[in-house]
Amino acid sequence: MSTQTYEAETFRKLQPQEYLRKFLLKEVRPDGRELKQFRQTTVNLGCISTTNGSSLVRIGNTTVVCGIKAEVSVPKQTSTKEGYLVPNVELSPMCSPKFKPGPPSEHAQVLSENINRLLKSASILDLNTLCIHEGSAVWVLYADIVCVNYDGNVFDACVIGLITALSNVKLPKATFAEEEGLVKATEELLIPLNLSRLPYPATFSIFDGQYLLVDPTEVEESVAHEVITIICDEAGQICTVWKVGGISCTPKHLEKCISIARERYIEIAAIVENEEKSNNLI
Amino acid sequence: MSRHEPIGPQGLRQDGRRADQLRNINCKPSVLSQSDGSSYIEQGYTKCLAAVYGPRETRQKAQILHNKALITVEISLAPFSMSERKKRKKFDKRLLEIASAVKQTFEPIIMTNLFPRSQIDIFLQILQYDGGMTQICINAATLALIDAGIPMLEYVCACSAGIVEDTTILDLNNSEESLGIPELTVALLPQSQKVTLLQLETRLHVDKLESVTAMAIKGAKEVYKKLDKTSRDYIGDLLQKSNPT
Repeated sequence: MSTQTYEAETFRKLQPQEYLRKFLLKEVRPDGRELKQFRQTTVNLGCISTTNGSSLVRIGNTTVVCGIKAEVSVPKQTSTKEGYLVPNVELSPMCSPKFKPGPPSEHAQVLSENINRLLKSASILDLNTLCIHEGSAVWVLYADIVCVNYDGNVFDACVIGLITALSNVKLPKATFAEEEGLVKATEELLIPLNLSRLPYPATFSIFDGQYLLVDPTEVEESVAHEVITIICDEAGQICTVWKVGGISCTPKHLEKCISIARERYIEIAAIVENEEKSNNLI
Repeated sequence: MSRHEPIGPQGLRQDGRRADQLRNINCKPSVLSQSDGSSYIEQGYTKCLAAVYGPRETRQKAQILHNKALITVEISLAPFSMSERKKRKKFDKRLLEIASAVKQTFEPIIMTNLFPRSQIDIFLQILQYDGGMTQICINAATLALIDAGIPMLEYVCACSAGIVEDTTILDLNNSEESLGIPELTVALLPQSQKVTLLQLETRLHVDKLESVTAMAIKGAKEVYKKLDKTSRDYIGDLLQKSNPT
């Protein structure tokens, strides 16, 4: 018995692609999931009390913490009423042996930029609502997403973390005293943000041009390079389609992905709603 | 009671603790799947994650030590962990100094001579900060190293203590630290009763040093009890799971 497991382990290390293929022939994944099954997802809101809004998201072993801090700043000359929302993703060397200490890796910057683009193009938050006083003071929301454990599909975890943390944000009531040129804010945090839509993502990998792997783990990501991410909102509208690597994706695959992404939306929305309910009870 | 009095008339501190009371410690080993060993520790509102990788191949050839393992420690502070968001540079000098203190604390304890030419990395991530950076980093690293199965001579447990007028107080939080109370951090080897680290950065009368050190050592022993219980419970659980009969 023990020699057999040893052999499987050696096989996995030497022939990772063949190893995965053997599983997929039987319509099952190495971690025991079905092909179109997501890993267990949990959301924990308001876990960091130094922030204005925070959330911890786990998809399987992948864990990210998103914290949002609000600060006052001066608006741009060209858009005097608009505040700022600055997302930033950190992939520290702690979360995987792949990452080295040093400046943010290309991967982390790609994630940050994708999230930034999603925020802008889907106009999730109307930046004009962050205005305290036109031309002199606006809120800046710094959304820092720290990846703690990297086991694949970090982009999904980051987006869910960001959206749930944004819906968890409470800002103080702020007024601008014109004579002194100062912003005064109340101690209590009361005002929630007004989010125009709550998009949630679903990510897929295509392996061997035929197997569609939902919610890939780190091991699966490293052998299947073709990745599709679809983000849709509560109305089932698509906010983003992002497909990179490989050439085997057909329109049929894409259709299937979209329908799974819509089902996934309902699943995540239910998880978040549950967490919000239990959070309000406390 | 004034907001700035560290100890109120009933002898209670701002957060309701007695002078010689530790903050509530909550800890858990083996929380991350990617690292060889990890831990999460909460001491009051200070929350810290530790991950240990190694012993593994040294990344930079020039750093190879031929007779023992190289230890590296990196501390990162999540940008949202403090009440003021400061985009601290990764190589903030203060953090570097604490990281170096943690590294020097563990160098004599880890049996590095067993792993020549290799490297052991300790990564610490502060998620929320409310005082006691050095102590929580050391405690989290101890638990993560145990989880990684890296041979050590014994536990290292750290605790801080300070003094207000004539009362020594244990385990300062951020608001007490910012009042300028002298703070002394001690890292103790609880079995051999040796001290591997003792850090004091503020002015303190030499007569008071002994009582403050004694208080910190007392705290470190309590931390040891907690860490030891946690890791024993965890190992017990593992044993039970691997052999259910």
